[in-house]
Amino acid sequence: MEKILHKERIDDWISALTGWEVLSPALEDGIWAYRPVSGAVRLDHPNTTQPPKGLAFPQREVFFSFEQIKGEAPRLTQILPDTVQRAVFGVRPCDGRGAVRMDRVFGDHVEDTYYQARRKNVAYVGLACNQPPSANCFCLSVGGSPVSTDGLDVLLTDLGDRYFVAAVTETGKALMTAANSLFDEPADADRQQLKSVHTEALAQPQRAVHNPDAVPAKLKASFKSPLWEELARACIGCGICTFLCPTCHCFDINDEVTGSAPLKGNRVRTWDNCQFPDFTMHTSGHNPRPTVGARLRQRVCHKFQYFPENFGMPQCTGCGRCISECPVGIDIVSVVNKVVEHAG
Amino acid sequence: MINVRDIRDAARDLLAKGEVRAVIGYRRGSRGMAAEPVVITAPEQADELVWDPTCFHNLALYLVEDRKFLAHSRKAPGAPIAIIAKGCDARAIVVLMQEHYFKREEVYIIGVSCEGVGVLDERKLAGHVPGTPTDAAFEGDDFVFTTPEGEKRLPAREVMADRCLECRAPFPKEHNVVFGEDKTGRELAAPFAALARFEEQGATERWDFWRRQFERCIRCFACRSVCPMCYCDECVVDSITFPVAPETTADEKANRIRWIERSAVRSENITYHMTRAMHLAGRCIDCGECERVCPVNIPLRLLNNKMEREARERFGYEPGASIGAASLVASFNDSDPGSFIR
Repeated sequence: MEKILHKERIDDWISALTGWEVLSPALEDGIWAYRPVSGAVRLDHPNTTQPPKGLAFPQREVFFSFEQIKGEAPRLTQILPDTVQRAVFGVRPCDGRGAVRMDRVFGDHVEDTYYQARRKNVAYVGLACNQPPSANCFCLSVGGSPVSTDGLDVLLTDLGDRYFVAAVTETGKALMTAANSLFDEPADADRQQLKSVHTEALAQPQRAVHNPDAVPAKLKASFKSPLWEELARACIGCGICTFLCPTCHCFDINDEVTGSAPLKGNRVRTWDNCQFPDFTMHTSGHNPRPTVGARLRQRVCHKFQYFPENFGMPQCTGCGRCISECPVGIDIVSVVNKVVEHAG
Repeated sequence: MINVRDIRDAARDLLAKGEVRAVIGYRRGSRGMAAEPVVITAPEQADELVWDPTCFHNLALYLVEDRKFLAHSRKAPGAPIAIIAKGCDARAIVVLMQEHYFKREEVYIIGVSCEGVGVLDERKLAGHVPGTPTDAAFEGDDFVFTTPEGEKRLPAREVMADRCLECRAPFPKEHNVVFGEDKTGRELAAPFAALARFEEQGATERWDFWRRQFERCIRCFACRSVCPMCYCDECVVDSITFPVAPETTADEKANRIRWIERSAVRSENITYHMTRAMHLAGRCIDCGECERVCPVNIPLRLLNNKMEREARERFGYEPGASIGAASLVASFNDSDPGSFIR
């Protein structure tokens, strides 16, 4: 399904989505974040600081609560994700492709019921990147594109005073059908303009991973390279790179006690972070990744070697957040290129 | 104005003569125009060093890293390590010496004066220059940016970090060698100006403000990781740093107090940030790195500034002013007004 939507009608479209909570990028407290829509929606954002990943995989979620009253059996109460349907407007293609990867991780071998329950209620209305939204974009190097529809339900392309709206999935069609009368049929001129806008978008200069096809093998051959410590020399060991990543999915599970008489609390899943020193700490005290170099290697090889080996695609989608936000300039594109170059 | 060649010459000379074993400095990074920290160990690497408005980082952090590395690998330090230090960075180094983290003779301070300016706040730059600048340079009281559409000159004040505008000591008093003029006394903004503006609000508004800020924290711990003063191996409010060794017993592991839970929720985030602010009282030298690196833009300087101003007003204490001075929380004075101490 392909339609034309005049820009001033986007708010009417959103209003017509009864039964959906609609989110769009908003500049709040100095950062771009997805927020429930209040007022007019203008999709003129760069990219959000955090991807929309948290809607399906929140940083914190409670699996169940527990209570132990003396002399009684422990009481467990399962907490299920809410069933609100959420449509996210303005999702960049890299983040759509991030969702594809998350879906594989939480669905391929073991179905993560909590993830799936949330994911099926989230729809992504993407926005093609006519211009790279960040100076550190490199989606073309990881099999993506600024006009990719992977993982999206609808793709909007900005044609000046109107959007070209293409449904990608059945959910996307349903979102459009909900406001059928607002859309126009695309004319030949619209299709031609779409084609030229997409062609121009694809020709925009980006950062580049050199010879991406060779990367997994070169990384594999570089596991013991001393270069990792050198490249991580400035790393401060914070968690920005992974916490802002659209595809990082590691988590930890803890029991968080909220009261002692009677004993009660929650079993909680939270994001974990391979850049933190305790991430692979064994109970013996041995840590197979004891240094920042070993931890940088893990992050890079997971994205560019292990994930391709396991799922046939790079895990990284080239959004560039980890580069833009790193406090000390550690740059995954440059790291990959240097290691590959060094491997010869 | 500082000529970067002088800094390079000094670094090259120190390394060539073996007077230092490494120089911690800045070099051009691959992320746009920003400089990045680098540790050089060979004289020929000195040409990589840069000095420009993107030298934001407080490199004192890497002195701490170096010390930890030496301790861990049980190596003797040998020759001192050199570091390029702005006024704020030099104050951080002084605090570390006050706390006996290392000795004066173990560090060679190559001071760089910020003169009449300071470093760039990248967030302020948006909208001021077209496209993505590829280079930034000092030019008197201006910053000059190289952009795809040519050079763009801006008064530094418009895009400088708040911490630099409010800085009272832009000249690194503690140094072995120093470059640039001493312009101490320049008044770009009143000290604690941002804090004073913030405190014009009532208590309710301020509490609402912080509740909103801490709601957003994702507990990436970048504020702590970037702080030269947060050198504890074990952070009291964060279980991810609890050291575990083969001799750590199961009981010890199980019974460690968790002051905050792993969940990045407001109550836990507030406890983390408040504890950190208290632990920095009389130690924070306002390099502002915590605020710069925060990916969700929490104005952390306000908290640390508040503690800094309390120390100054109540005890006349300036962190990082003198190596010989006792640290604020490790000293007392008979004339302290508080009655609890007597």
